[in-house]
Amino acid sequence: MYLDRLFNQGSVPVLEQFAQFTDARANLLGEDIANVSTPNFIQKDFSLEQFQQVLRQKVQQENSGAPGGVQFDDISMDIQNPRNGILFHDGNNRSMEQLMSDQAKNALMHNLAIELLKNQYSQLETAIREGK
Amino acid sequence: MFEILDMGASALTAQRIRMDTIAGNIANINTLRDASGKPNPYRRRFVVFAPGQAGNESQPGVHVKSIQLDQSPLPKRYDPGNPDADKDGYVSYPNVDLSIEFVNALEASRAYEANVTMMDTAKSMFNSSLRLLG
Amino acid sequence: MIEGAANSLGKIAGISPATGASQSTGAAPGSSFADILKNSINEVSKLQQDATQAANAVATGQTENVTGVMSAVEKADLAFKTLLAIRSKLMDAYEEIKQISI
Repeated sequence: MYLDRLFNQGSVPVLEQFAQFTDARANLLGEDIANVSTPNFIQKDFSLEQFQQVLRQKVQQENSGAPGGVQFDDISMDIQNPRNGILFHDGNNRSMEQLMSDQAKNALMHNLAIELLKNQYSQLETAIREGK
Repeated sequence: MFEILDMGASALTAQRIRMDTIAGNIANINTLRDASGKPNPYRRRFVVFAPGQAGNESQPGVHVKSIQLDQSPLPKRYDPGNPDADKDGYVSYPNVDLSIEFVNALEASRAYEANVTMMDTAKSMFNSSLRLLG
Repeated sequence: MIEGAANSLGKIAGISPATGASQSTGAAPGSSFADILKNSINEVSKLQQDATQAANAVATGQTENVTGVMSAVEKADLAFKTLLAIRSKLMDAYEEIKQISI
C-alpha cells in the first residue's frame, strides 16, 4: 500500500488516465478513417469534453480530501456517434479534414501526457538513486 | 486545446466545398436542361465564406455561409435550328467562363495547401515544446 | 518524500552550526544556514505542487498554455535536482568531518 501511494503521487494518476483515453480514442479514429468509403458506416468517437469533465470532478475531490482517497482508474466512456457534418449519398457522414485534424490533435495530446509522465517517473527515480 | 488545428480543419472543409462547386460549374458548362428535362440553362454557382466555424460562429475559423447562383446575364448565341431556341432564334448558354473557373480552382488549391502547411507548422511547434523536458 | 528529506537535512543543518566551522565566514547576518535550507525545501515543495496543478489543469482541459506547463514542470525538476545536489554535498562534508581524528 505504501509503495502504491509512492508511485501514484502528484499528477501521475490523472496523466495515466488521460494517456489511456487518447490511446483508446486513437483506435476509434483509426477505424473511422479506414471506413471512409464504406456505405452506411456511422462515425464513432469518444467525447473529449465529457472525459475531461469527469477527470476534473475527480481532481477536485482529490484536492479537497485526503491524498490517495480517490480512485482514478474506474472511468468508463461510451462510444458516441457525432452526426455533425454532411451526410453523403452512401449513408456515411465522414469529413476527411475533421478526421485528420482530430487524429493529429489526439496524437499531440497523447505525446504530451507521455512526456509529462516520463518526467514524473524520472524524478522518482532520481530521488531513489539519491542523485548518483 | 488545439484551436489552431480546428481553425485549419474548418478552412480545409470550406476550400473543399469551394472546389466541389467549381467542379460542378465546369461539368455543367453545356447543360441546357434541368433535371426534369425542361429547358433551363445551368446558372453558375459560387460560395460565400463567412468567419467563424460552422457549428458555433464565435470560434475562430471559416465556413461556407451559402452557395448562391450567379445572377449575371446568360450569354446568348444565334442558332435558330436548335430545339431550345427562343422565338428570336437565340439559345441561352450557362454563364460559366472556363478560364475564371480554372483560376478559382488554382486559388482554392493553393489555399488548401497553405492551410495544411500551417497545421504542420503548429504541430511541429507543439512537438518542439515537448522537448523542453530533458 | 519531501518530508523525509526535510527531516534528514534539518538534522544535518542542526549539526553544522555546532561545529562552528562555516558560521563565521560569509553567512548573511540574521539568518543561519539551517533557515536558508528550510526555506529552499519549502520552495521546492511549492514548485512541485505548482507543477502538479499545471499538469492536472492541462489534462482536464482547464488551460491551453502548454508551454507554461512545460516550464513549470521543468523548473520543479531542476529545483529538486539542485536540492538533491546540496544534500549530497552536505553528506560528503559530514563524512569528511566524521573522519577527523582527534
